[in-house]
Amino acid sequence: MKSKILVLIAGLLLSLNAFAISLQDAKAQGLVGEQINGYLGVVVNSGEASALAKSVNAKRKAHYEKIALKNQISVDDVAKLAAEKAIAAADKGHYIQTPQGKWIKK
Amino acid sequence: MTLGLTGVLLLGGCTPTVKIEPPDKPIVINLNVKIEHEIKIKVDKELDELINNDELF
Repeated sequence: MKSKILVLIAGLLLSLNAFAISLQDAKAQGLVGEQINGYLGVVVNSGEASALAKSVNAKRKAHYEKIALKNQISVDDVAKLAAEKAIAAADKGHYIQTPQGKWIKK
Repeated sequence: MTLGLTGVLLLGGCTPTVKIEPPDKPIVINLNVKIEHEIKIKVDKELDELINNDELF
């Protein structure tokens, strides 16, 4: 019983840690940036940033899939269109990826 | 000449001269460009909504 509670607390702490930073904060701090494939990329490698990217990208993918299915086009096409928009809409100072795969500040 | 004409008239009397046959293949009008354009506008709109979601972008 005691160990179960400990596991629960540890799990809660870990999950809190994983989401300690919001997407907007991470972008402003230059930890993550927009890739050309429509998904969030990690600029500064850290557990926090990659956990955030993983969770955000899973959500994005689900949305892309929904739009793709609805319009009978491929998920990749939706993701590419999203990338164009996301890069265009990125704030100044936020990181975006070049087609060569390099990170640049917008 | 007269014989020939009579023959044609006779034949004409026996068989219908005007026949309208439906085409055996359906008439295909290609509207790919328009449809692609419409889809792009729709996807565009849906993506705009996504981009404005702070948790996603």
